[in-house]
Amino acid sequence: MKNFCKSFFWMGIVLLAINLIPDHAAAVPELPKDIKWLTNESDPIFASPEAKKGGIFKSAILSFPLTFRVVGPDSNSGFRSAILDNQLSLIGIHPNTENIIPELATHWAFGQDKKTMYFKLNKNARWSDGHPVTSHDFTYTLDFMRSKHIIAPWYNDYYTREIDKVIVYDDYTLAIVGTKAQPDLHLKIPIGPIPRHFYSELDNDFVRKYNWEIVPNTGPYQIHGFKKGKYIKFQRKKDWWAQDLRYFKHRFNVDTVVFNVIRDFNLMWEYFKKARLEVFNITFPNYWHVKSKTPVIENGYVHRMWFFNDTQQPSMGLWLNQDREIFKDKNVRYAFAHAMNVQKVIEKVLRNDYFRLEQHYVGYGLYSNNNIRARRFDLEKVDIHMKKAGWKRGPDGIWTKNGMRYSVEVTYSFADHTPRLVVLKEEAKKAGIELRLQKLDPSADYKKVLEKKHDVAWSGWGTGLRPAFWQHYHSANAHKPQTNNITNTDDPDLDKLIDTYRDSLDQKERIRLSLQIQEKIHEIGAFVPTFMVPYVRRAYWRWWRLPKIPGTKHSETLFDPFAPYTGGLFWYDKALHEETKMAKKKKQKLQPVTIIDETYKMKILENVKFSYRNS
Amino acid sequence: MIHKIMKINSLTLKKIRRFKSIKRGYYSSVVFLLLFFFSMFAELFVNNRALMVHYEGEYYFPTYGQILPGKTFGLDYDYETNYRQLALRFAVDGSGNWVIMPFVPFNAYENDLREDRYPPFAPSIKDRHYLGTDAIGRDVAARLVYGFRIAIFFSLALLVVNYTIGVSIGSAMGYWGGKFDLFFQRIIEIWSNVPFLYVIIIISSIIVPNFFMLILIMACFGWIGITWTMRTVTYKERAREYVMAARALGASNTRIIFKHIIPNTIAIIVTFAPFSVSAGIVALTSLDYLGFGLPPPTPSWGELLQQGWANLDAWWISAAVIAAMTITLIIVTFIGEAVREAFDPKLHTTYE
Repeated sequence: MKNFCKSFFWMGIVLLAINLIPDHAAAVPELPKDIKWLTNESDPIFASPEAKKGGIFKSAILSFPLTFRVVGPDSNSGFRSAILDNQLSLIGIHPNTENIIPELATHWAFGQDKKTMYFKLNKNARWSDGHPVTSHDFTYTLDFMRSKHIIAPWYNDYYTREIDKVIVYDDYTLAIVGTKAQPDLHLKIPIGPIPRHFYSELDNDFVRKYNWEIVPNTGPYQIHGFKKGKYIKFQRKKDWWAQDLRYFKHRFNVDTVVFNVIRDFNLMWEYFKKARLEVFNITFPNYWHVKSKTPVIENGYVHRMWFFNDTQQPSMGLWLNQDREIFKDKNVRYAFAHAMNVQKVIEKVLRNDYFRLEQHYVGYGLYSNNNIRARRFDLEKVDIHMKKAGWKRGPDGIWTKNGMRYSVEVTYSFADHTPRLVVLKEEAKKAGIELRLQKLDPSADYKKVLEKKHDVAWSGWGTGLRPAFWQHYHSANAHKPQTNNITNTDDPDLDKLIDTYRDSLDQKERIRLSLQIQEKIHEIGAFVPTFMVPYVRRAYWRWWRLPKIPGTKHSETLFDPFAPYTGGLFWYDKALHEETKMAKKKKQKLQPVTIIDETYKMKILENVKFSYRNS
Repeated sequence: MIHKIMKINSLTLKKIRRFKSIKRGYYSSVVFLLLFFFSMFAELFVNNRALMVHYEGEYYFPTYGQILPGKTFGLDYDYETNYRQLALRFAVDGSGNWVIMPFVPFNAYENDLREDRYPPFAPSIKDRHYLGTDAIGRDVAARLVYGFRIAIFFSLALLVVNYTIGVSIGSAMGYWGGKFDLFFQRIIEIWSNVPFLYVIIIISSIIVPNFFMLILIMACFGWIGITWTMRTVTYKERAREYVMAARALGASNTRIIFKHIIPNTIAIIVTFAPFSVSAGIVALTSLDYLGFGLPPPTPSWGELLQQGWANLDAWWISAAVIAAMTITLIIVTFIGEAVREAFDPKLHTTYE
């Protein structure tokens, strides 16, 4: 036993020594000579010079966060983004041009190896406690994120698998090295700093100790006060170091942002009508068309905004499992697509408010193939395809072949979607296809689909900055559980295209391949796209002002107070507030206002039959 | 009348006579039986298929059986004929063809959607939506009728399963007594402490139960109620002389329980039955209301109630289902009360 301990001790020493060696070797790194420093001070600004500072913005959250930590247990709540948005990154993306713009870094450069990026930090950058932001805060990010004490295996893994190391040249110059050469390096590599001076040595106590600690940040706001279960208050930093930077100027105008806990969505609507909330999300058809018929809107105290964006669309639709005998035949899949009367659902159930999603990857800019059109409801085409596949109509009108009926189970989980599916079901019956609706609890649904035990899954995937083909369509992910290829697509040609796409470091080639891959996916026809909602709709009290073009191409909400990407464009107009208060007091009617902004409306929507009937 | 056809002992006859004399219960049972038979043939009254079509000299009766594609009647489609449109067409073209539609010309599944208007639609005699439509444009009357049929069959089937298990186990406990009784008492005590609604909710969120599966799941917890009563009654009956006599004649335990004891306790079982039926309806409705019952789009009262709650402005949805529910439960309760009174042994015992 003693011996064992001893050897263990020595082993420790040796390991320590090994750990120390590379540190010594990298002591005085030198910046390569052949890099070209880039910056961007010439893209158009998207904030309004008219914006004034001031005001309190009252917002609501459904539940109080379980912790203010952004990593570790219970940290993955919706509120985390409010904290993370106040932590700037090295560089940002311009929401309209999609070019790189400065955040914490003023300049950046790409290494020849396609896996390193170099940065020069803004020397004015300060943490909220006054400490300067230096390169060492970035090396600390790796130490922190790789630490076992934060109990965040996903981050441990990500910061090991994706980021190789951070090289410090001096306090304000650094390089970040990825583990592999890849295209779009600037979307992966830039990491945020973590204040080394704030966290002492991490230990087992981390999770408990930092539950309610307010960590220094670099963004425009900082938490100023909170009462657990009741509210969280953010205060604007009066002399924020970045407030005069080109892309931050005239943004983040409100002095105070308060998130009150209101535990019910309907109750929030009542609070909003009493002006105890400033803005309300009325994207849902029911709110826009029906619930909007309320005095505060009809009297013009509250304005409505319908803003079209042009951003990556979630892939909502029906996913056919090709491991099911019935869906192995391409014609049968095509027939299924032609039997889905999505248009009728849009017109009769969704009040013409939703748009037909044409394919899986809409809104990815140059990477989207806008020539693809989803297969429309067409009984004749169903007939042609089914007959080609050798099926016959049975006595009950449903197609049959060798004792098999065209009757498939559609798995879904949102009760609110039942009306849509019921209409699809009745229409599909005309086409000779029987849909058996199966509503499951969301987690049971998710499990069933990931285990590929579904016939047809009614669901959608979220989006990324670039189309993700491999996870959804590569055969490497087919025929096995817990992967995202839920159609079990297994096509050698498609595999080849996807592999080339993944290996390519050339943007033009990647775009060409992306379009080609989408064509191929459409040809396979295992995904029947349904709806997209390429806009946001908000109701807001009229003393809140927005720029002339109220949002950006990628705005998913117009009143985000913090997000460095698209947020903080709105401002408070005291004069209008007083005027509205007087009008309310005197029961005076103002002009009701509904603004529809189509600046960024997707081109592919231009020919869509669409009416603003009820607006 | 009946006793001439079937051999019924005089005591039972007396009970039936007594039941008839309780007017409230008797009329309730008549109404209930009418509703029951009406719902059995609901396709003839509430349906989107025509009762009768006269086309080119031939008569068609599409109500039951296979679908008739539109081409049968000279229309240009292969799917099932839309008889409402066909009726309109025949009325206009003056060809002498005609269609007779049922009273409510909609089935419980189809969405009657309009241009430029969004459901729910208010009741309208012109549209023949006598009770309006729900939030997806389905006829409320049709969904009520078919929902009633499902609910009533469901609770009757549940009753049979529950009582078969419960009565057998209960009387076995009472008959054997001793360790067997003690053991089952404990089992039942534990089992009845399981919050059964939650268990059903959990199960049906993982698998979507169909009609029979739901009965099975509910029967897992539903059999307990009757066991206690049966146990006590059997204890009493076991001590009677006729049981001893049967045993002396060498009858097996099974024979004694099923041929001797249970027939003598039938009065008690019968008095409980109507209340179990209403409990079954309520249970199914509440599960459907919560969204854990039969899978959509099965017509169901609970689902209608849910829609009524979500669309309080559309008063006709909740009004219709609440009225239907109240009437049914009152009827069943009246029947139950009358049965209980008619079977009350105190009326037939004479003390000397």
